[in-house]
Amino acid sequence: MPLTFIEIEKQKNWRIGILFIVLLLLYFCITLSLIQGFYLVFFHSVFILGGINWTYLLIIMAFSLTFATIHFLFSAFGAVKSVMHHLGATFPDAEDNIHKRLINIMDEIHVVTGNKKKIKCMVVPSLSMNALAVADLNGDAAVMITEGLLSRLSRTQLEAVMAHEAYHILSGDCLETTVAASFFGMYASMLEKIKDFGEENGRGFHPAFLLFWILLKLSQILNMFISREREYRADAASVRMTRNPLSMAEALHLISRNWTGIGFIGNGLEMLCIVSPQATSLNESEGWWADLMSTHPPIRKRMKILLSMASTNIAELDAKLNREAATANMKRSAEPVYYALDPKQQWQGPFSIADLSSLPWLSPLTWVKSVDEQTIDRAWRNPLIDPIFTARLSQKENEITDIVCPHCNQALITIPYEKTRAYQCRFCSGILVENDKIPRIIARREVPCTDRLKSLAKAVLTDNQRRITINKLRSADTKTKSSLPCPKCRRVMFRTFYSLAYLIEIDRCGLCCLTWFDTDELEILQCLIENKIIPNIGILPV
Amino acid sequence: MATLILILISILISVLGFFILWMIFIYNRLISLRNEVQNAWKQIDVQLKRRHDLIPNLVSTVKGAVEFEQDTLEKVISARTKAVGATSPQEKAAAENMLTQALGKLFAVVESYPSLKSNENIMQLQEELTTTENRIGFARQLYNDLIANFRTKLEIFPNNMIASLFGFQREEYYSAEEYDKAVPMADISIRKK
Repeated sequence: MPLTFIEIEKQKNWRIGILFIVLLLLYFCITLSLIQGFYLVFFHSVFILGGINWTYLLIIMAFSLTFATIHFLFSAFGAVKSVMHHLGATFPDAEDNIHKRLINIMDEIHVVTGNKKKIKCMVVPSLSMNALAVADLNGDAAVMITEGLLSRLSRTQLEAVMAHEAYHILSGDCLETTVAASFFGMYASMLEKIKDFGEENGRGFHPAFLLFWILLKLSQILNMFISREREYRADAASVRMTRNPLSMAEALHLISRNWTGIGFIGNGLEMLCIVSPQATSLNESEGWWADLMSTHPPIRKRMKILLSMASTNIAELDAKLNREAATANMKRSAEPVYYALDPKQQWQGPFSIADLSSLPWLSPLTWVKSVDEQTIDRAWRNPLIDPIFTARLSQKENEITDIVCPHCNQALITIPYEKTRAYQCRFCSGILVENDKIPRIIARREVPCTDRLKSLAKAVLTDNQRRITINKLRSADTKTKSSLPCPKCRRVMFRTFYSLAYLIEIDRCGLCCLTWFDTDELEILQCLIENKIIPNIGILPV
Repeated sequence: MATLILILISILISVLGFFILWMIFIYNRLISLRNEVQNAWKQIDVQLKRRHDLIPNLVSTVKGAVEFEQDTLEKVISARTKAVGATSPQEKAAAENMLTQALGKLFAVVESYPSLKSNENIMQLQEELTTTENRIGFARQLYNDLIANFRTKLEIFPNNMIASLFGFQREEYYSAEEYDKAVPMADISIRKK
């Protein structure tokens, strides 16, 4: 195991060289076995026994190698761009606080590696939790992280994950994977074709290709073995950089308990991910078979190694995380809680101090009711609430935009929302969000999901589900028409459900790529996804 | 006989040529390593400068909100002034260490004010300072890695002969320990938050 990134850089070249020679040898053997297979099918003899026409053989080899090289060059030159398109990854938004943190961490990695290679960082708009590294022969290299993972990790955990992925790029692992995939990918698809052809003709898989099949499987096993070894090394390199094995273990713990992207991250990319997105029983199994047939080592085994570096174990980590969660809950329940009178003269709440500070309509003159003391007073008179206004004075002024509220026809202001920026109407509290920001807002959990929001979410969801079911039964049109104009281009927006899984009605402008959320709609959507609330429509009325 | 002499001379010239080429290779390698080390040292200064530049912003943002914590703010300002004015490496390191501690205390204060914690400006500044602290740490880590590499190349045989011939000096590691002795330790490093 190299100790520093300088040594990693040194070892990279000869490691790639050796692997390349081994893969080339295997590639020749596979080609030979494939030709032998066809020879057996068409001439019913083993050509090695009947004397080999070496010139003919060499020509075939040269042709196949040329094909593989062309395939490799095509796939390896634009690998970063092609993966980026496939996953819809975008560059981080420097105005978004969480994305800014990612940019900073990538800059830190550039400092520690002495700027040896410029690595881009990208964000994948998915709620799944995974990260992957890609590099190509153009010299492009990128670490891609899903919005879900980015939002849930603490800073130190994110540092560990990014260092792990940066190691894969700096050590040349990504290039090796691309080489291996392009060399054997072609034969793997050829094998599938042979199998399909045999099955279509009702003759099954021809035994002449048995050797070809065995060698191809051997190459896959070799690739998986290399991939597993890489993961251990990348974990160790991450600890070497951050000096914090606990953070890496915590990140793996968190990732393993969530959706890692099955169905979203394609099969060919699994070797590039921090945790295999394929949810198979082998993922968490130990033993020689699991070791042989999986691209990633078991997460528990990785965690055990990392935790032993921190002189602790999985049971202690579980206990620590449970303790932290309990302390956070206790802290939250011990915090003073208030109700506040909103501009419509309705009591809203309960709110903690942090919740109150995020309320745009809270002013020093707002009436606030303390739950514990049962007292009602102006907000500025409360010594705990008053500093909110002092802090607001030093905060960036909310910019008034030229975008107008579709309900009130008044200018919207920009507000910080879930560590990014959104537009809000100061009068009706509706929120306008750019479509590309919605996944990150949903992935984050800064805005509290209060009991009021939870019950509202359940009621709205049940009502919408009931309406949609009745309309479907009556074969009526389930679409509702919006009469709201787009706040930007003033064309009529279309009213639709956010998705069929989350039946919250929203207004969208397809031209401006903007979504309008009426009061509470965005919070309700976040609450639904965070708490996995499902509708309860009971027995339908006849 | 003449042919034999000619062959011997050619062998001698080849060996000599090879030896000179080898010396040039080692010399160039040592030079590039030394330059990398010097560059890494300068990178630490770049990151320290970045920290100094951020502090006035931080102080002006926090000032109004934590009026009754003026003592903590003053300590940050005076530590920054000392760090900017320090000339010798020892003075500089001691002042930077003091600044790290003063910033740690300031952020502990910020943590205890929920309204400040949710202030966007302060959150952004805190992130900027955290990344700067990390960069300083990582720049030092890179410097020490390069020093280790340079020292190994300098001391192994036969590089050590070339090194002594051209007067290459061993560079010293960056050691936090010496500087930590100068000021009392407190577990308030920003990175660990």
